Amino acid sequence: MQEGGYFLAGIGSRRSLRPTRELVTVAVSTLVLILLCALLAPSALTYGALSGSLPFAAILAIVGLGQMLVVQQGGFDLSVPGGVSLAVVIASHYPAGDDALLPTAVALALVCALVAGLVNGVLIGILRLNAIIATIGMNALLYAGVFAVSGGVPRITTQLLASIAGGEIFGIGHSVLFAVALLAVVWFVMKHTVAGRRFEAIGANPLASRAIGLPVKQHQVMAYVLAQVLYCCAGLLIAGITTQPTAFQGDSLLLPSVAVVVLGGTSLLGGRGFPVSTVIAAFFLTLLSQFALSVGLPYSAQTIIQALALGFGIAVYSLRWTALKTLFTSSREVKG
Amino acid sequence: MTNSIRKTTLAMTAAFVATAFAGQAMAETPSWCGPNQASVALLDGFGGNSWRQVTTASAREEAMKCPSVTSVEYADGQGNTQKAISDIKGMAAKGVNALVVFGDAGPAVLPAVTEVFKAGTIVVPYRVDIGGKEGENYNKWIGASFVNDGENWGRWIKEILPSGGKILFLSGPAGNSQGLDELKGLKNVLGAEYVFVNAEPFEVTNWDPALTQQVLTAAISKNPDIDVIVSDFGPSLVGALPAFEKFNVSIPALATSDGNSLGCFWTDNQAKNDKFKLFTVATGNDNARLAMRWAVALATGGTRADLPGSIYLSAEMSAEEQTKAINQ
Repeated sequence: MQEGGYFLAGIGSRRSLRPTRELVTVAVSTLVLILLCALLAPSALTYGALSGSLPFAAILAIVGLGQMLVVQQGGFDLSVPGGVSLAVVIASHYPAGDDALLPTAVALALVCALVAGLVNGVLIGILRLNAIIATIGMNALLYAGVFAVSGGVPRITTQLLASIAGGEIFGIGHSVLFAVALLAVVWFVMKHTVAGRRFEAIGANPLASRAIGLPVKQHQVMAYVLAQVLYCCAGLLIAGITTQPTAFQGDSLLLPSVAVVVLGGTSLLGGRGFPVSTVIAAFFLTLLSQFALSVGLPYSAQTIIQALALGFGIAVYSLRWTALKTLFTSSREVKG
Repeated sequence: MTNSIRKTTLAMTAAFVATAFAGQAMAETPSWCGPNQASVALLDGFGGNSWRQVTTASAREEAMKCPSVTSVEYADGQGNTQKAISDIKGMAAKGVNALVVFGDAGPAVLPAVTEVFKAGTIVVPYRVDIGGKEGENYNKWIGASFVNDGENWGRWIKEILPSGGKILFLSGPAGNSQGLDELKGLKNVLGAEYVFVNAEPFEVTNWDPALTQQVLTAAISKNPDIDVIVSDFGPSLVGALPAFEKFNVSIPALATSDGNSLGCFWTDNQAKNDKFKLFTVATGNDNARLAMRWAVALATGGTRADLPGSIYLSAEMSAEEQTKAINQ
């Protein structure tokens, strides 16, 4: 009983079930966007449109969860493109169309992800290198791997992977189910296990955590390892969904991965993570670009809208509204 | 004694065989390959797809036909304009005699091209129009006419949809000159009864299969009755076309560029999709061979008169055979 209580923290406590401010913000924004879509671009909400765009939201969500773990430890992971692209090329080049070789390819991709994550983690968590610099270096190394495997050339995925990643159950894409399952694991481990609670505490204040005897370095290393594993999962899904992925499929995911973490409410200074909000933010961002496409906006406007959404997200969480308010009222008082 | 006779015979045979081979090689040396030794380099703006790999290999093979070519180097700009520019300057600074440049970045690479041309390096840009003039900014431009591709698509569309229809036009990065030229060609042929349902001038896909898939989904959900899709990168559509199934409509007619995976997809799916017709234009890997011939001819002092405009390298026939066919 005691051990169980030690392992599982806070299950059933009322506090953990109350929606956080971050979750409410991103959920309300998403609802507003859905309303806007219904009014201005109803085609973006049809079953066909959603089943086409949700797999990409799922991929972004998985990558976002990985990035969130790193951001929670006060870091940044810029090796997202390399990690995702390496998984894509291993899954498409190694089997070369042969379904029987797919399990080996998946295992190989996971091993590469574990090694890359471990190196990142050791460099940053133990040797105290700057996260941005270490992960840029790792990204270059991973891209070397991408070129070594593929020579930069795309290859068609195997039928098996295409049906695993691109298939549907009751009209819901498998990739969406994968994302939900991974979210459930991340959420449960982070919010309801001792390891997860310590992970958040260490992210919030590593010095205090060390002072009370928590294994700070271990948790920081784990953040990078688990992030790479999640990127790898996303890469495997992309390889299945796009049928003929390029060798650089991860490139377009780096900035959105940070964007969904920020929109989800996780502080860039580290600490508490918001996995559910991050996944909703991934849906929000994908729906936003579908909205812009459906309204028929030019490409430049689409990019601007996404930038504004990101700016809005940062402003909501980072600006100290109360401080601004006091500043405003006090200056008025001075004037008066 | 017998040993030495055997040795002599062997040496003589070897010498004879060598001479015979040399003679054959001399006979096969193309006229565009001159006597002066030269090094050449192929500068790609973006080398990351199978089409580029095949094109690069074709150009390399063409250069190797000329024994005067001492080395063929290659640099991949990786879609990065700054790298493409520094590659051009770097190769020239290294002393490479002739450069064949795939100027993906368009006019952005013209200053670098002009600079190395003025410094005495032979430059043959090809396929993408980088602006400038022959003899002033570079030696010779070998181009494919994308306007012509657009006109060919347009004529086919007129044939299958004589009374007009809805067209969705997809191209690569925003503002790329290839897409703009193709649109010009399409509009030259098609009248107002053909409506473009995409954002002006084309729907941006960056030639990325994942983005193509998202763009196509949004477009179909808005216009399930698209009659024809025009795309300048056919194989990137393979992952995206099954989206039509989700809307319970047939895959529409497709005017695009060729690619084996797309051909296979059409074979597998045309029976289920009554509107799925396919028209492809060749992607012109032969441009690279012709550009390489010009570069080698200029650098080695070969004959340039042997490279007429109406010879098609993709036909894999000798120039003489083709000339005969044209003059019949």
